[in-house]
Amino acid sequence: LESERPALRAVIKVTLIKEPTGKPIVLEGLFVGGSAGKAEGKLMQYHPLSLCNNSEDDPPESDFITIVKLERTVTSCLPLLDKARMALAKGAQAVIFDISDDDHAAAELPDTDSLPRPVVLVEAEDAEELMGLVNKNEEARVVIEVKMESKWPFD
Amino acid sequence: QHKQLSGVTSGCQQGGCLTCSDYNGCLSCKPRFFMHLERIGMKQIGVCMTSCPPGFFGTRLPERNTCTKCRSECDSCFNKNFCTRCRAGFYLHLGKCLENCPDGLIRSDTQRECV
Repeated sequence: LESERPALRAVIKVTLIKEPTGKPIVLEGLFVGGSAGKAEGKLMQYHPLSLCNNSEDDPPESDFITIVKLERTVTSCLPLLDKARMALAKGAQAVIFDISDDDHAAAELPDTDSLPRPVVLVEAEDAEELMGLVNKNEEARVVIEVKMESKWPFD
Repeated sequence: QHKQLSGVTSGCQQGGCLTCSDYNGCLSCKPRFFMHLERIGMKQIGVCMTSCPPGFFGTRLPERNTCTKCRSECDSCFNKNFCTRCRAGFYLHLGKCLENCPDGLIRSDTQRECV
């Protein structure tokens, strides 16, 4: 049995498009399964219902990163893994799920290697910061990288 | 703390909402309303409507009524296969939008129809 792989942490650097040289906001999240990797794009919110079989809309642009705030009260039309795949198939460079209000979400996402690009879970202050930008329609570019955990215990 | 609320509340003040949240807008609609996912810049929020906006048609499904986009060459439609007004450069014939009209008919740019 493959030993349980530790979930890798993601570093999410957010730069406001109106302040391209400003200091990035640095947040953290958790990569889903084997999807850890680098991605970059413009932050774009998707409603949870937009990732269902019968939903279709025009993908915004080429390089965008999808953020979805999951809600407990939305009857899920698809398993979360399929929603992630659908978002990536719509052209997202990566998918960020805000799971602050959906405590079952993390359990729904098995340790899978079948995701072609990064899928990251965020919650609490990190999620609130991201969704705060969305709520104010503050256009932002996001860079997602793997967090390098320091090996040296005294760092 | 982000709120998940039912009915009409601050942040998602719409009559048709059954449940909604500040970030996603409407999450579910009252009966007979259609859920339309509206993109405003980087945001995408749910809006409950009695009828869908131009360019969309209403689809009634067991789990929810939704607004679905007409075909790309169609400006307004009854459903995916029956257009009522075509986009510029296309001409309506028997509910379809054509670039060229069948023999015996000519293109009317004002009506965007084969006449």
